[in-house]
Amino acid sequence: MADQDLHLAIELRGIDKTFYGVHANENVDFQLRAGEVHALLGENGAGKSTLCSILAGLYRPDAGEMFLNGEPTVFRTPKEALAAGVGMVYQHFRLVPNLTVAENLALGHPDLGQVLNQRELHKTATELGERYGLPVDPAARVWQLSVGQQQRVEILKLLYRDVKVLILDEPTAVLTPQEAEQLFKTMRQMASEGRSVIFVSHKLHEVKQVSDRVTVLRGGKNVGGVDTADAEPADLARMMVGRDLELPTREESDGFGDPVLTVSDLRVDDDRGLEAVRGVSFEIRSGEVVGIAGVSGNGQRELAYGVTGLAPPNSGRVVLEGEDLTEMSVLAHIDKGIAYVPQSRLGMGLAPGLTTEDNLALKAYRRAPYSKGVRLVTSTFKEKGGELIERYDVRGVQPGLPIRLLSGGNLQKALVGREVELESKVLILRSPTRGLDVGATEAVRNLVLAESKRGAAVLLISEDLDELLALSDRLLVIYEGQIVGDLETSEATAERLGLLMAGQSEMSS
Amino acid sequence: MTQRRFIVEPRGLASAQLNIAVPVFSVLAALVVGAVFLAITGENPLEVYGKMVDAAVGSSRAISETLITTTPLILTGLAAAVAFKMLVWNIGGEGQFLFGAIFASGVAIWLGDSVPSALAIPVVIIASAIGGAAWASIAAIPRVYLGTNEIITTLMLNFIALNIMNYLIFGSNSPWRDPDSPQFPQGRPMPDSTRIPEFWNRLDYGILIAIAIALIVYFLIYKTRWGFELRVVGDSANTARYAGIGVSKKILAVFLLSGALAGLAGGLFIAGPVGGLDPRSLVLGFGFTGIIVAALARLNPIAIIPVAFLMGGLINAGPALQSIGIPSATVTMLQGAILIFAVAGEFFIANRIRRPDRKTEDASEKAGAAV
Repeated sequence: MADQDLHLAIELRGIDKTFYGVHANENVDFQLRAGEVHALLGENGAGKSTLCSILAGLYRPDAGEMFLNGEPTVFRTPKEALAAGVGMVYQHFRLVPNLTVAENLALGHPDLGQVLNQRELHKTATELGERYGLPVDPAARVWQLSVGQQQRVEILKLLYRDVKVLILDEPTAVLTPQEAEQLFKTMRQMASEGRSVIFVSHKLHEVKQVSDRVTVLRGGKNVGGVDTADAEPADLARMMVGRDLELPTREESDGFGDPVLTVSDLRVDDDRGLEAVRGVSFEIRSGEVVGIAGVSGNGQRELAYGVTGLAPPNSGRVVLEGEDLTEMSVLAHIDKGIAYVPQSRLGMGLAPGLTTEDNLALKAYRRAPYSKGVRLVTSTFKEKGGELIERYDVRGVQPGLPIRLLSGGNLQKALVGREVELESKVLILRSPTRGLDVGATEAVRNLVLAESKRGAAVLLISEDLDELLALSDRLLVIYEGQIVGDLETSEATAERLGLLMAGQSEMSS
Repeated sequence: MTQRRFIVEPRGLASAQLNIAVPVFSVLAALVVGAVFLAITGENPLEVYGKMVDAAVGSSRAISETLITTTPLILTGLAAAVAFKMLVWNIGGEGQFLFGAIFASGVAIWLGDSVPSALAIPVVIIASAIGGAAWASIAAIPRVYLGTNEIITTLMLNFIALNIMNYLIFGSNSPWRDPDSPQFPQGRPMPDSTRIPEFWNRLDYGILIAIAIALIVYFLIYKTRWGFELRVVGDSANTARYAGIGVSKKILAVFLLSGALAGLAGGLFIAGPVGGLDPRSLVLGFGFTGIIVAALARLNPIAIIPVAFLMGGLINAGPALQSIGIPSATVTMLQGAILIFAVAGEFFIANRIRRPDRKTEDASEKAGAAV
């Protein structure tokens, strides 16, 4: 094989890793050449993150061997991996919010002493940023930065340590299309310097655009690697899913019903008491799906909180079918007919330590048949729970076990199923398919579309443009707490939305 | 490639056997550690343990005395369990216990001999619950509304409660102090009509009340709407808020319930075996031992009953040891060791440790050969 002439930065042979008796990685071989951008493609749960974590020293494989520049190597800790020149940018950043960018770069660096030369550090940080197209202010504190900027700091941290292998775990999930473009340039530049980049993604067009080679994982196994130039997106999709698949999209609607939810001039504070939603107004009619596009952190969370009663608005109105809910409690919002699927499933929405049955009853337990007076009817929990588990195809449930042991897709099916089961007038969802595999995404999308068909008013708050374009009838763009764009889906394109999301104001209405 | 001898991995649900095996093992391991220390000090551990078993359950008299000690431990154990389940770290069981006793004896003395037992006893018992809850509220309200750290406040309030009791008996001519014993300050005896009757040796009906309360608490947590909400709040406050459950109110309620249970322990103890606000008979550390009981019972209200009996026997064995020249601190040491092993045992309930599979080992060997 001609490949053998090429210098391998890392080679994995027969990597095995098991969690709860399930193979996250099974006998995986993987070769990373020096100076290439190598995409790792696969559905959620395919074992991409596990493989990366093994490379970065966070997990140790149960079996298998790793060769670094041809030498057999074992990383016991991420620190050892870093010292050997292998670093990873995780999906959840590992930065200290209260320290400056420069201080974060210096943190844990092996060659720096106890006393920091701040001026030197700032200079290096600025130079590094300019060289790689990752400009950041070294004196800024991390909490002041946007998510995209924080990601730059994470990458700079690795470059500052001069790592030879960079692993980026779904880096584009938090970026606007324009920011993603810039990141791709940076990745190409790093590769041209002889560094290797592992790019984890499940977005085919990105993989196609930036990578030299692709390795596809499915069910923990390596199902094939190809040169990107030779790969058709459809082939990659089939390798990833194992079958042909088309995600559901909305049908052209023949008009909507009466307005159900009317939000006018809503203003809501975030946890720090800063106004995060700054005068948002919109209306959703029965059977309509309104999408809210925006980069994470532009007031989406507070908007959802304001409409569901979780954060009392400073001013403005939330009116449901003529009834003003603005001042009412969370419970009243639920009772009047507002269902809500929050973004972080286990952080809010599900009680991780309770059973699946308990979680499925979380909105209905107050009434018969779940309770009789003050007593819970435990048999109903079991029966109804079983019914819902079946209806919404929640897999992996074992009696008595806490729900947190389910996979992300099954957690989401349980959560969305519970909310759909309420048959409420309004359904609010935040990034409902984020991090889900294609099968679960399909299931969740179908539920959302069925709800709108039933006549619910659906508010879909998401950062995933594909999802927004596929499901929404109308799209609003939120930027810094304000609606900066209002378009029919037919006239929206990813480019146009991207510009609006980045704050390039071009009010079209 | 290094070969891994053990693999630690989280397990889903521990089997029932394991849930029992770990606490039992914790106790046995503590006994082994205790034996080492006893052997170092030149005692025969088996002989000492034999004496302890004898003192705890060796006769009908011993068993009834152990049950007397079990009563308050069930309640302080419940007090700790309901609070810890909600992640409310009430370690003020000691102070709440004493305030339960202060309220119970105060009400009993105020009622006097004129009220019939059928009315007086319930009133005294309820007063103790109110006393414990009131003392807990001093820590609970700031915790819920201002976010103060309840570990510190409840701990400090223990000392304040202790000193208030000492003041009532040693420092003042309060109604709690016995006027007939001016030289030797002690608690004024409670009227007979306010005392819980005995039914077996010195054992009073308090033990049955305590067991009934444990069953009620179990029902409350696992079979009522209120308990369901409580479990949701304890598991995820955010999710509870999302589901429309009033989180602050729930935390306040559980904190006060915890205080009331510890207060009841004081009430039953003083209306049962003690019979007056007598510091020497009350300051036995029931509040703190309740934490050990709750931990060893893994916060399960029903399991608290047998665990409290075990701890009761251990406490009663202390004086018997003294009589053969071994410091009763041995008992405290054993208690501490049990707690440490019980907490460490949680690791084995949450995780499983196994040897690598045969297949894995082969792969490792191959890896070794390749190197």
